[in-house]
Formats: sequence, C-alpha cells, structure tokens
Amino acid sequence: MLKVPEHQVAGHIAKDGKLGPLVDDRGRFYKPLQGDARGENEAKFYESFSSNKNVPDHIRGYFPVYHGVQLAEASDGSGKLPHMVLEDVVSGYVKPSVMDVKIGSRTWYPDVSEEYFNKCIKKDSATTTVYLGFRVSGLKIFDCQESRFWRPDKRVVLAYKVDGARMALRKFVSSNPSADSVPDCAYASEVYGGSNGILEKLLELKAWFETQTLYHFNSCSILMVYENESGGDDERRAQVKLVDFAHVLDGNGVIDHNFFGGLCSFIKFIQDILESSDNRCENGH
Amino acid sequence: MLKVPEHQVAGHIAKDGKPGPLVDDKGRFFKPLQGDSRGEIEVKFYESFSSNTEVPDHIRRYFPVYHGTQAVEGSDGAAMIVLENLLSKYSKPSVMDVKMGSRTWYPEASEEYIQKCLRKDARSTTVSSGFRISGFEVYDHKELSFWKPDRKLLNGIKVDGARLALRKFVSSNTLSDTSSKPDSAFASSVYGGSRGVLTQLLELKTWFENQTFYHFNSCSILIIYENESIHEDGARAQVKLVDFAHVHDGNGVIDHNFLGGLCSFINFVRDILQSSDESTDN
Repeated sequence: MLKVPEHQVAGHIAKDGKLGPLVDDRGRFYKPLQGDARGENEAKFYESFSSNKNVPDHIRGYFPVYHGVQLAEASDGSGKLPHMVLEDVVSGYVKPSVMDVKIGSRTWYPDVSEEYFNKCIKKDSATTTVYLGFRVSGLKIFDCQESRFWRPDKRVVLAYKVDGARMALRKFVSSNPSADSVPDCAYASEVYGGSNGILEKLLELKAWFETQTLYHFNSCSILMVYENESGGDDERRAQVKLVDFAHVLDGNGVIDHNFFGGLCSFIKFIQDILESSDNRCENGH
Repeated sequence: MLKVPEHQVAGHIAKDGKPGPLVDDKGRFFKPLQGDSRGEIEVKFYESFSSNTEVPDHIRRYFPVYHGTQAVEGSDGAAMIVLENLLSKYSKPSVMDVKMGSRTWYPEASEEYIQKCLRKDARSTTVSSGFRISGFEVYDHKELSFWKPDRKLLNGIKVDGARLALRKFVSSNTLSDTSSKPDSAFASSVYGGSRGVLTQLLELKTWFENQTFYHFNSCSILIIYENESIHEDGARAQVKLVDFAHVHDGNGVIDHNFLGGLCSFINFVRDILQSSDESTDN
C-alpha cells in the first residue's frame, strides 16, 4: 500500500490529487518519472552511480539506495506510471527533524535554456544561494517543548537572508524552534557534533568533493535528519544524504567546484553554531 | 626613473595617453588609481589587509607588499598605488595570470556589470572550470625568447585549451609550433616540490576554508618562475594574489566562489604534475 510521505520538506508533494512521491511500509520511496528529461536524467544518474566502481563505499552511504524503476499507481489518479524506487531516508525514524539544503552558489549550469537560466538566477539572487553558496529549501523540526512539529511556510523559508539561514540552522538543533525567543541550540553538540554527527559526515563528503570529477551535482540538496523520540539508547542517529539528481551531469575531468564551494560555506556555518554552543556550555548556560 | 613594466600579462597597459602601470629601479610597482570606485576599493583593501593582525604571516606573503599611494609626475599628478614589484627579483620570468572563481560578478555590483561579467564568464572556462587564464608569457628555451599566446585565442579556449596552456607554461620546447606537444619539462620544478606552486596553492586553500574577512571577487593568482639557470638553481616559483578592485567584506561568510575555483585549479595543476611524473618514470 502506497501513501503520501509524512516528512517530506521540499519538492513536489503528492497531496490533493497532485502527482508526487509515495512511500510504502517497507522503507521504500517511490518517485514518479514525469516523462520529461529530468526524471530520465535522475534515473540515469542512479543507474550510473550504483554501478560506478570509482565511488568509495563510505561515500556511497551518503546517497539513497536505488532499487530500479517500477510501475505504481500514480498519486494523481492517472493510473500506473513508472516510478524510481529509492531508499526512504526517513523510514525508521519515529519523530524526525528534517532539513533540505540546496548546495551551490548557482543552481543553473552551462548549456541550459535561456528560460531556465533566467528562472534559476532570479531565484538564486533572491535567496541566499548567490551570497552563501547554499539555501534552505525546506524544514520540519520537532519542538520538544510544545511536543509538535514546527514547519514554517515555504514562502518564509525562501525569503530567508543570511540571518534567516543561520537562525534556521540554529533552530534545527533547538528544543524551542517554534518560539520567537532565541533558539537554545540544546542539541547542537549531539546532532552537529561528535564522531557520528553531521559535521563529521559533511567533512567526509567534502574530502571526496575535493577530487571527484565523476559528476556535477547541479541543484542537488543535502538532507539532514535526526531522531527526536527519546528511546532507550538516546541516540540521535543524525544522517546526511544527497538527494535530487534531475540535473546531474558528467564531471568530464573537472571537479564540482560549485557544489564544493557551497558545501564548505555550509560547513563553516555548522562549525560556527557548534563552537558558540560549546562556548555557552562551558559558561554554564 | 619610471618605466613601463616588461612582463605584464593581463590588466591595463599604458596606451594612447591613458595611464598604465610603471616600475622603478628600486623594486616598486606603480598602479594608476582607476577614476571610479575601483581604485578606492583597491586602496581600502590594501590598507585594511596591511593592518589586519588576524592574517597569519605565512598567508601575508601571498600578497604584494603595499607602500601606500603617491602622486606621480608625468601622469597629470594622478594618484598611484605603490606596491612591491613582484618581478624585480627575477631575471627571465615566465608569468601567468589566472582569474579565480566560477563567477567574476558579485551581488553588490551594478546590473550592467553583472551582465557583462556573465557573458564573459560563460564564454570562457570560468563557469565550467571555476577559473580562466587571463594571460601568460613563457620563456622558450629553444628560441631563447619570450612567447605569448594571442589574446583573442586565449579568450576563446575551453577546458582542453586551459590544460594545454598550463602545460605550455612549464615546457621548454618551441611553443609557437602548434604541431609539437609541450614537453612539460619544468612541471616538477615549477608545480611540484616542497615549495612549488601546488604546495603554495594548498596553503592558500586552507586559509580560504576559514577566512571570512574578504571576498576576493575577480581577483587573480599570478604564477611566476625563473628561467635563468633553472636547471642549476631551480625555478623559484611564486604564487601571488593580485587585483583587488572588487574586494568586499566577507561579513562572516567564507569566499566560497574563490575557494571552489581554487580547488578546481589545484586539480588541474596536480593532474599535469602527475602525468609528467608518470612520463618521466617511463
């Protein structure tokens, strides 16, 4: 039985008769192939990537597992459509906080149509993409104090400037994200820090991007996920995954300097938050 | 006594009554202040940088020493920026100017300027590779003279052309002959080694991963090395950042544009070094 995913924060949503992705109860995510070049390109990427021996195993873990293409009942009632079957990155989490961050100081790339270029550059300039090298695309944070999810309106998120982006990254690891008061960054060291934290994972990805010339990840996002349900093991299980490969192209011997630069800028933001929250802990706050 | 510099490879030159840079015989370089805000921005940068105590010494040496501004005779009393002449200690220097970054425009620029930059960035290797070669001059050890590629040709090169230029830059064979393959004879002395270009670029890269003081929009990296007695004394390769007319405050954000381009450039240099090492092994 396929249903609408609960925790999707960005991209097309399969709601109110619209075409969008679905999930099953076995940890799989079904993304409809839209019959245009993008779906084809994404499937082509997953096929290439799954069989690419030059991708080290520890890097493979940052990408959703690909299970090929299957026919499934489309969410808009249009019948059986081919869907890419992927690992559902948030399955196995009870109360996940999720954030989608589009990486790179430009979302366009050489040889796109003028129309697409203009659309991208307008959005890149209106958001933090040009200035910061990344933009927050969507987020859903569990507010531990209110015991409910906080999910700001998409238009508010896209209007974030530098301060808004920083604040969103602070709220992401706070127990009071929905409050107007200063985010407490209570979970910064558990989620961003530590040997299994998000920063370590981003640094591992960065090292690969310094030299990999296989793919250019145009317009791709990094998805950050962690658990809020207090279980016996107290583990946050923070995860970093790259998603959305509709615009990936061959690297052709050149590194993905656009993604790399944005990733480094994003890492610096995380490091700054970690450092300032560490300082506060030392001061007994 | 001031004269026109011999080895300038990019940027403005003195022509038709318009001022260009000058050098003296005491190791100084005089750069005319552009009439618009650019000259002002460049001076502001040099002043800020010279007194910025948070810039580590080992990074400071990648920047020209600043000697203030001076009104110079013969240039209508126009003010000039006085800098260290980066070539004064070289007798036969090969020089290359590489503009770093996958875009040369920046958010604070005017719409007109942004459009002009976008066009140039798309036509060159800037967008695809994160850098473009603005110009270079290399000493031809067979012809015993300097060779410079045609400026127009250089503007139209793509990725392969950039790679070829970087090979030619460290070659000893006749460069004007397009049929002969560049021998990359000096790749390991110039690009490699404990104080070679690659090591210097990697040192700069580490600083750029953290520094949030300045955004070096449209800046170039200048690569210089000595050809005189290169076999006996080595290449004395140097990397310098130049051209700060569009530098803006970092405001707590790293210069991801420069960093991305720098990392891409490093890979190009490393590839050439590795393939030249491999061919000598054979």
